[in-house]
Amino acid sequence: MRAFRLHLAAAAGLFRRDATVYFSYRWRLVTQHVGVLFSLAIFFYISDLVRVPAFASPGSYFAYAAVGVIILQVLQSTLDVPTTVRQELVAGTFERMAVSPFGPVASILSLFLFPLVSAVVTMLVTLALTALVFGLDPTWERVPLAIPVAAVGALALGAVALLFVAMVVRFKQAPGAAYVLALISLVAGFYFPTALLPAWIRWSSDVQPFTPAVDLLRNLLVGQPLHGSAWADVAKLVGFSAVLLPVGVAAVTIAIERSRRLGTLTEY
Amino acid sequence: MPLIDDDRSDLALPVGVEPRAAPAGDPLLVVEGVSKHWPGRDAPTLDGLELRMAPGDVVSVTGRNGAGKTTLLRILGGLLSPDRGTVELDGLRLGRARRAYQRQIGLLTPGDRGLYARLTVARHLDLWARLALLDGGSRAAAIRAGAEQFDLGEIAGMRVDRLSMGQRQRVRLALAFLHAPRLVLLDEPATSLDSVALDLLHGAIDDAAARGGMCLAVGPEGVATGLAARRTLLLRDGRLEPA
Repeated sequence: MRAFRLHLAAAAGLFRRDATVYFSYRWRLVTQHVGVLFSLAIFFYISDLVRVPAFASPGSYFAYAAVGVIILQVLQSTLDVPTTVRQELVAGTFERMAVSPFGPVASILSLFLFPLVSAVVTMLVTLALTALVFGLDPTWERVPLAIPVAAVGALALGAVALLFVAMVVRFKQAPGAAYVLALISLVAGFYFPTALLPAWIRWSSDVQPFTPAVDLLRNLLVGQPLHGSAWADVAKLVGFSAVLLPVGVAAVTIAIERSRRLGTLTEY
Repeated sequence: MPLIDDDRSDLALPVGVEPRAAPAGDPLLVVEGVSKHWPGRDAPTLDGLELRMAPGDVVSVTGRNGAGKTTLLRILGGLLSPDRGTVELDGLRLGRARRAYQRQIGLLTPGDRGLYARLTVARHLDLWARLALLDGGSRAAAIRAGAEQFDLGEIAGMRVDRLSMGQRQRVRLALAFLHAPRLVLLDEPATSLDSVALDLLHGAIDDAAARGGMCLAVGPEGVATGLAARRTLLLRDGRLEPA
């Protein structure tokens, strides 16, 4: 129990460090939201062009796409961690984590805490701004339920991020992280229904955790009907995360041990 | 048996690992046959290196540029694994009881890296005390002692990117000594230090040695490491020999 408490205190220390650094750049909070508002404005005007049976009105397409933009922000948060680890390597601070009793793997896992919390807060702020500026009408009473769903969805992508962290530790770069996000937004239906995808690629919507995450969040945030049972989507999301996370942790552990043996752990 | 005799007496104790007392004079650090061969180099950088250090030992290792001094420190610090050989600290074998081993180690890396530009000195001390898995009471005592030892009181609230190089080095040194490790590894510790700061460093090393800790500092041949070393060794052809 004492050891657990000490590990928790160490993780909290890294969370506070990330928060301190984040808020030390005072305009970051503003620019981050302004950027999202621009994206939403684009979809707001595009939605005026949408007249298809899948969406009853231009407004319903905007709600669909807006939630996609918001969810993308949440998921993207964990994909920034490989970049953070690379910065730690360059700054020489990763060495300190590696020689600390807390250890490099626990430190890397702790680096996900601030991005996750920050992403959930950002999701709520963006939702409020979208309602205020573009007249989106979220189902506010169900928003609290969306928070754990968003967190589990981000954790599932966190597992993918851990694979990229392993690449950064081992090879000092992780090309492809941006492409992964683009691919996910394509096959998970962030901006358009997956039914529009060609048949040969549609299967990919069912074999990753992001489609159920997006469907659930869309249902919770703007009342978009689900295709099947909500519990089936929850089970799929939790199941994917439960399987993928240990794989990600194992990959990072192996990368660190291998780099120790090769003598490249301190290289960047 | 407590490892150190002040109010930080529990700081160096690994979680769940009972420290074993070494009789005075018996080696606490035993390095046997350590070799490391970097790719692209004809000869191994370290070649069957042997080193023994007893409680209170202060050792200075010199050698030419590229002789393998930093490689040695990184191996002892647990950042690199040797190709061959073993490292044992107070009965803890490096690579086996890693967490317990790391609790006993303090490492100052070379240069001025390893700090967060936008974090204050106080936040650095707090963060590294947490990463050293010190509990609340010990953490506060360690931070206080570290700040006093390296005279960081006046700059505690300042961000690191606003400090001079010498001040940064004092912060880095405080972090290396913070959790009262049994073995402090220092890579060119005197870098950027003025005479007052050098005295602070000597004081910290003396305190650590008086508590039964050990210090190993490395620096280039012909340049002072900043230590009042009891032994000076030369690293040449991958092995240590009396300087």
